[in-house]
Amino acid sequence: MTEDSLVDPLVTETAHRLFSEICDHESIQAAEARGQAPEIWNAFAETGFPWISIDEGAGGSGGSLLDALEVLRLVGYHAAPIPAAETGILGGWLLASSGQELPDGITTVVPNGGENATGSISGEEVLISGRALRVPWARIAERIVIPLAIEDQTVIASVDSAQCDIEPMTNMAGEPRDTVNFRNVRVPLALATPDVDLEAFRFRGALSRAALMAGAIEKMSQLTVSYTNDRVQFGRPVAKFQAVQQHLVWGAQDAALARMVAETAAREATRGAAQFEIAAAKLVANQAAARATKACHQAHGAMGMTQEYPLHHLSRRLWSWRKEYGGDAEWSKWLGQVAVSRGADQLYPLITGGSAALN
Amino acid sequence: MNDAFLISPESEHRGAGCPNVNDLTEEQIRAELDLILDRRNADTRLSTMGAGSDDLDAGRRYLANTVLGGWHVPTWPREHGGQDASVNQNSLIGRVLREFVVPDLYPFAIGLGMVGPALLEHGTNAQQTDWLKPIASGESIWCQMFSEPEAGSDLANVALSALQDGDEWILGGQKTWTSRAVWAQWAICLARTDAAQPKHKGLTMFAIPMSLAGVEVRPLMQMNRDAHFSEVFVDGARLSDQWRIGEVGEGWRVAMTVLAHERAGGGSRGGGDGNARGLKLPSWIADLQVLVGEQTGDWRNKVAALYARDAASRWTAQRASDEARSTGSPGPAGSGAKLRTVNSYKGRSYLANSTSGARGMLEDSHGYIETLTAPSMSIRGGTDEIQRNILGERVLGLPGEPRLDRDVPWNESRRGLI
Repeated sequence: MTEDSLVDPLVTETAHRLFSEICDHESIQAAEARGQAPEIWNAFAETGFPWISIDEGAGGSGGSLLDALEVLRLVGYHAAPIPAAETGILGGWLLASSGQELPDGITTVVPNGGENATGSISGEEVLISGRALRVPWARIAERIVIPLAIEDQTVIASVDSAQCDIEPMTNMAGEPRDTVNFRNVRVPLALATPDVDLEAFRFRGALSRAALMAGAIEKMSQLTVSYTNDRVQFGRPVAKFQAVQQHLVWGAQDAALARMVAETAAREATRGAAQFEIAAAKLVANQAAARATKACHQAHGAMGMTQEYPLHHLSRRLWSWRKEYGGDAEWSKWLGQVAVSRGADQLYPLITGGSAALN
Repeated sequence: MNDAFLISPESEHRGAGCPNVNDLTEEQIRAELDLILDRRNADTRLSTMGAGSDDLDAGRRYLANTVLGGWHVPTWPREHGGQDASVNQNSLIGRVLREFVVPDLYPFAIGLGMVGPALLEHGTNAQQTDWLKPIASGESIWCQMFSEPEAGSDLANVALSALQDGDEWILGGQKTWTSRAVWAQWAICLARTDAAQPKHKGLTMFAIPMSLAGVEVRPLMQMNRDAHFSEVFVDGARLSDQWRIGEVGEGWRVAMTVLAHERAGGGSRGGGDGNARGLKLPSWIADLQVLVGEQTGDWRNKVAALYARDAASRWTAQRASDEARSTGSPGPAGSGAKLRTVNSYKGRSYLANSTSGARGMLEDSHGYIETLTAPSMSIRGGTDEIQRNILGERVLGLPGEPRLDRDVPWNESRRGLI
């Protein structure tokens, strides 16, 4: 393995310590009530973490995509209620790729499938109108980034959120997924570099969610092991019962599986083409999330259903992330079409070679 | 939906001189119900198990109307709000009732389905007279103070103590996961009256007025933002011996009656989204058809499988419930019925959520509250694991779990110590 295929251990250690200190059960609950967590965001932003993998020349923090995804894994692990992916590897990436300035504050991005925001080119400007749905944290963002395909070009529109009409809406996890109305907002025309288009954005979105989900499933599994070892019924910890152990095994398996696919996809994405790995990672993470949340909730019993116990911070986020940037059906279909179009003889090379075998 | 339950008190009901209910034909039952209830139609949407709803009024109005003819609990004696119906006639009434709008009776379900039948079996005449009719009419809501922080699945491990003092009892301890405690006027409470006996012995059942001095309810917020279950703290509450249900030391037996009725779903008639007779499709399928973009083969397969499972679970639950009524004591079939019913609910919730696609993550999406409620279904009322254990031991005859504390005095057992 080369140097750039490894996560910088300092990133893992620092991010983990940061979240352990500032992102606890109470602060996540409070963020849900307020629709934001400025203390967590400020501490996070101060370290430069949101902009890892974006060139320093473009206003980023440098570092590799692998490092950025490791931070996202830890955001998921700690259920941190912050727009980390949107500001960094999604919105920040789109801005940098089109030579636009990164704001100091929060960037968000109109997600793939956030229908009905449209743009038209008018001289050196783009006119944005329409309504974008499920925009993460739009109400606290400084810029709202919209990737648009116009006349065979990829236009990256960066809109000042003050110029938009934002209707608050919330996802299952209590995180903002707002509706944003654009009323003929004019922004300067900026084109993305050729490697960045809507398809690349769709995959990058899925990659971000796979990393978040891997972290959340891992934490959920750990919480469940620890709770069932503490909880005594019938004179012994419930973790001693085989029926409960079966749940624990599902949780642990899915945690390992989700992390493995997320890391494989991250490594390939850092090297170059990674469509196959990302599609597989998101699908596997979606399925692992469905199984693991069931198993972990069941093993927790009634305790896991309460707001007072932290399991729901993870499970509700997983149910939401599972639906963003491609649900099970979307990625199953994509993978199925790729496999079928190449024919039976090419199936095994595809599985073993991944995206490299696609070209 | 509220207007559906506004029936004038003067409306027809089964007073003296009416033919015996056991002699009524299906058509006659339908005709009588038509006088007091609205027919269910494809637009009828009802909550299930109270999820996302704090509505007590719809259920109260429905019960106030139906108690006049004893329609909701037909097998109960006439003087207690029933109509002395036979088991077969009760099943028939249940089937006909499915054609009508019966609201979600979640708030009333403990009284109707569990405490009521237990009182008929274990209660004194005075207790039956005082408590049954208000249950049937919706005047009083009951909750079940069983689980404790250290006694959930291991229910017999309860520590809340009741000490006799003349003809009173003094209660102290804590319950948890007490569903409906915030609404209830009464609780059925399992307490330890003799700590020197092994854990299943030395227990006694009481009825407690929730307004009693020394009883404090603290609601717990759930993941789906309902606050339907609570912690209940009991500190020095003094209780008349008249409120003891069953003999001293027989609490476990009474508790088993209550729980068996819970599994058999005795109180669950009403609400939810079953397939009312005469409707082309259950409303959950109609809703899915609106949500789905393309009806792929995979999607249809899932809907059909759920429909079949749903039907099977409904009939299994019905059979368990009929069996319970005919024998007077529900058997392990209730555990199977509960497993199936839960499975069906979860399947419908998850399919609605996945059919909604990315939209399904939003809090105003169809199936949102059900998806957040679904995991609780296989936990409340006895976990799936406990139900399977009952089936394994009592139906399949598998060897029991090793019970380390069988003959050990409760106060010397290792409860919570390892």
